[in-house]
Amino acid sequence: MAQIVFDKLSKTYEGGHSAVKELDLVIKDGEFMVLVGPSGCGKTTALRVIAGLEDITGGELRINDEVANGLAPRDRDIAMVFQSYALYPHLTVAQNIAFGLKVRRIEKDEIARKVRETAELLELTEYLDRKPARLSGGQRQRVAMGRALVRSPNAFLMDEPLSNLDARLRGQMRAEIAKLQKMSAVTTVYVTHDQVEAMTMGDRVAVMNKGTLQQLDTPRALYDRPVNLFVASFIGSPPINFIEATIAAADCAAVAVAGAFTLPLGETGDRALGHVGRKVILGIRPEALRPVPDAGGRGTISARTAFVEDLGANLLVHLDVPDATVLRGGIIEEEEDLKVIRPRMRAMVDGVLSVRMGDALTFAVTPGAIHLFDAETGVAL
Amino acid sequence: MAHVSRRQILTERAAVLAITVIFLLPVAWLITTAYKPSIQIFSIPPRFDFTPTLDQFRAVMAYFDVFSLVKSSVIISVGTTVLSLLLGVPAGYALARSRSRYASLFAYFFLAIRMVPAIASLIPFYLMMRDIGLLGTWWAVILINSMLNCAFVTWMMFSYFRALPRDMEEAALTDGCTQIGAFWKVAVPAARSGIIACVLFCVMFSWNDFLYPMFLTNLDSKPISVALLTAYGTKDITWGALGALAHFSTIPIVLMALFLNRYFVQGATNGVQ
Repeated sequence: MAQIVFDKLSKTYEGGHSAVKELDLVIKDGEFMVLVGPSGCGKTTALRVIAGLEDITGGELRINDEVANGLAPRDRDIAMVFQSYALYPHLTVAQNIAFGLKVRRIEKDEIARKVRETAELLELTEYLDRKPARLSGGQRQRVAMGRALVRSPNAFLMDEPLSNLDARLRGQMRAEIAKLQKMSAVTTVYVTHDQVEAMTMGDRVAVMNKGTLQQLDTPRALYDRPVNLFVASFIGSPPINFIEATIAAADCAAVAVAGAFTLPLGETGDRALGHVGRKVILGIRPEALRPVPDAGGRGTISARTAFVEDLGANLLVHLDVPDATVLRGGIIEEEEDLKVIRPRMRAMVDGVLSVRMGDALTFAVTPGAIHLFDAETGVAL
Repeated sequence: MAHVSRRQILTERAAVLAITVIFLLPVAWLITTAYKPSIQIFSIPPRFDFTPTLDQFRAVMAYFDVFSLVKSSVIISVGTTVLSLLLGVPAGYALARSRSRYASLFAYFFLAIRMVPAIASLIPFYLMMRDIGLLGTWWAVILINSMLNCAFVTWMMFSYFRALPRDMEEAALTDGCTQIGAFWKVAVPAARSGIIACVLFCVMFSWNDFLYPMFLTNLDSKPISVALLTAYGTKDITWGALGALAHFSTIPIVLMALFLNRYFVQGATNGVQ
């Protein structure tokens, strides 16, 4: 078991690219920590730094209160699961699982016992004599897990281990990994760009962007109280809607005026009272928009249906809002391509409703579900 | 899918057959020569209705110590291959994993060494071997061939290791290996198909090498490639004997190529998973 501490840790590559900038992060003993963010945010570099596969150019990494900056990977007693699984193609499943134990010169009987137990746990017993080339994607993933589990290491490091699996298998393996981690109670650092994995698996989630930590909190807190536009846009699927607005006061309470619409702010408004007249960005999650029959009422937004995605239980309705300015949610570099697409508001409504392209709809917004961000800094108010 | 006419298929097969015949004709001539009575070797038109004879083989055995010639060829080839791989494989790996932006340039520099005309390096190397007393031994040929083949192996293994995912070695490092351990236990077995290809090339290059052994060996250390030339043009040895001697020169290398080719193709088609 291990506590892993990043103390103002930086990693700058030759050529000056700064992958991680003064990262402060404490991963508690036994915790399942998820590092999430878009490509190039520094999450994988941070993970590789823990493994000892990258040199540290500034700050300190401490494992169990001991500085590990110059420690070789083999001396850290840490197991890593790679995105590509990195199985040894010339070895059988049993030999792959046993590799780490053999290198550490564990006795043969002990190795055989541990391999057998791990294979049983991961339902790999019947594949022990196969080479990786003859395994399915899911089986390879389990072998990679087995190779990590069998050593009972100080910590597990997982670098997007599910990204090569199909959606159904990914869902299943997500639950299995979370279960195995709870069972073994080994400190786990899990890197992903998939916010669904981050939300469902982590005890705590560290959202990263451009080498810096944006927010560190529980999945629920990230969803309910994002600290800035980036976190708000990254966490939640489908992504949050951003609408330009100005804070105004009405009947001693703050309201947000977004184009032709006036939205009461409820509890959020108490914080906004000091910002009357200030330009803000409203963050409204698609699931916080409720269709209502009366058009033009206070606290409602009117829109026209651009198109509808039928997700089965729900409909994801893409809406044009001519009377307000909807902003693009993607502040994420890899979504550059999305910039050519016109920004639209999205609402998640019950699948039984009949919504067609061109329909005029009105949505009520629960005041407490509106997030407020400073229009200039992007920081939550 | 485009429709392929019967006529097109026939044309293609005829072309393949013609090319195969062109390539195999000299081999067929060589083989038949060894089994023909001397008088029929140059009969015009060539005849295939001869009565096979082993006279040419008997003549070769009488004039040459074939066992010694083949032994020299085997020692030179194996020695060169082992030395080239021992130096070239780690060098190729080191270059492939180097973070220097000049790594590719270095690799091509090594390839360029292989392209130096053999005759250009012969005289200085001859003098060097003479000075250190290795002239006339197998070592002289092994060393010069190793120098050239090692450069080729370095370039070839550089390409193989470059294509090999680094993840596997990193997994070995986190599993408890040292950098050298990760190389021997993971990278080398994973690059097996490339290494087998290098073995094939090294053995072929050194087995067929003529120029260096011609000048650097003596009667006791002469390989079969040199003996083939001495067979030609002497008073009593004829084309038939040359054909017979060529059997001992080609059969081992063809067998090895066929045997290793199986592993080479197997490795190449499996790929790195």
